Amino acid sequence: MSQDEGRGERAYKLCTYCHGEQGEGRQDLASPSIAGLPEWYLKAQLTKFSEGARGLHPQDLGGMKMRPMARTLFANQNDIDAVSKYVAGLPRPQLQPTVKGRPIKGQATFQVCVSCHGENAQGNQALNAPPLAGASDWYLVTQLKNFKAGIRGGDPVKDPTGASMRPMATALSPKAMADVVSYINLLHQKQQQQPKQ
Amino acid sequence: MLDFMSLLRESASTFARDIDHLIAWVAILGGFWWLIAEGVLVWLIVKFRHKEGVRAQYITGEKKEEMKWIHWPHNLILLCDVAIIIMAINVWYNVKQKLPPADDTIRVIGQQWSWRFVHSGKDGILGTPDDVETVEDLHVQVGKTYHFKLETTDVLHNFSVPVFRLKQDSIPGRVITGWFKPTMTGTFDIQCAEMCGIGHGIMMGRIHVQTPEEYDQWLSTQQKVAQSH
Repeated sequence: MSQDEGRGERAYKLCTYCHGEQGEGRQDLASPSIAGLPEWYLKAQLTKFSEGARGLHPQDLGGMKMRPMARTLFANQNDIDAVSKYVAGLPRPQLQPTVKGRPIKGQATFQVCVSCHGENAQGNQALNAPPLAGASDWYLVTQLKNFKAGIRGGDPVKDPTGASMRPMATALSPKAMADVVSYINLLHQKQQQQPKQ
Repeated sequence: MLDFMSLLRESASTFARDIDHLIAWVAILGGFWWLIAEGVLVWLIVKFRHKEGVRAQYITGEKKEEMKWIHWPHNLILLCDVAIIIMAINVWYNVKQKLPPADDTIRVIGQQWSWRFVHSGKDGILGTPDDVETVEDLHVQVGKTYHFKLETTDVLHNFSVPVFRLKQDSIPGRVITGWFKPTMTGTFDIQCAEMCGIGHGIMMGRIHVQTPEEYDQWLSTQQKVAQSH
């Protein structure tokens, strides 16, 4: 284990209280699964939280919890790098679906998302689009609602990447959000069932 | 003389000095009796040190002339205690019991691990559409009396503004009313002073005590947000 990886693991100790030992997340604490997310995305979100681009909206209760935590890492930029690298290296957990929607309807809605998040919801760093497949589904619905309400991405100056997601979410009704997330769940299940190449 | 607390931390509210004085009196009276007790102890150690040919006595402390060594200091300390209790009740009443008329009211909501504030907006009335909500930053005007309605969304917290000498627990399910009147402009710390989980030590905020002009300017830049609940 290199010194950098060791520091990431040590820094992650504080995160385990909410996100779990393996980064599997806890819905009752509004903490999403983070294990195995791309390093660039984790770094970007930690930076946004620590700089106040996220977690400063009065209605973002989950984000308000995360902001002070991210600020503990902000004292040393290398901490953000190290913990992002460590979490990105954790295996993606197998999560049970919690959102009940209609995947068949969600599939049609998802065609809009494909251009950034990819056909298999695998994400695209070039477009700052994180992977959605395998994410905590309740978190995806929460964030879609947050984007729509301007709770997340409401300030294009502070959070330009988040702001680009807003118009996409604005078009969705709560039902459509559940549908599209159900489809993403199904997409992920199909990927898991495919034999590894 | 009693303002030595202000050397450690500035006082920025009307009752800060009262609390400082109370702490100073406790320190002075406690310190005085500590010095006396230690002085007597050292004096007795020196006076009754081992001497050749002198046997130590066993004293039961039942004789009158022996008892006075206990009773006199005891009674005098009780008098000091009564004085401290009277001063403490007086300060407690003025800070916690008495509620002077408010110029404005704010909501203070603690949650793991952030402070959320609801300002009454231009109309000066809480619970109306022009209320302004902020996270981490509370804006108030110097010289105005504020009532605060303190709540928590999850566990125990404590709304603490050290420069005001203000501390108030927030209790789940309760709305606790308190007050303060800032006397000095500036930006000061807000902290949580009640263990509230892993992020307790980093649950902080800032209070901006501003002139009416500065406050109005800040208010005009704020987006009007609807009441969250």
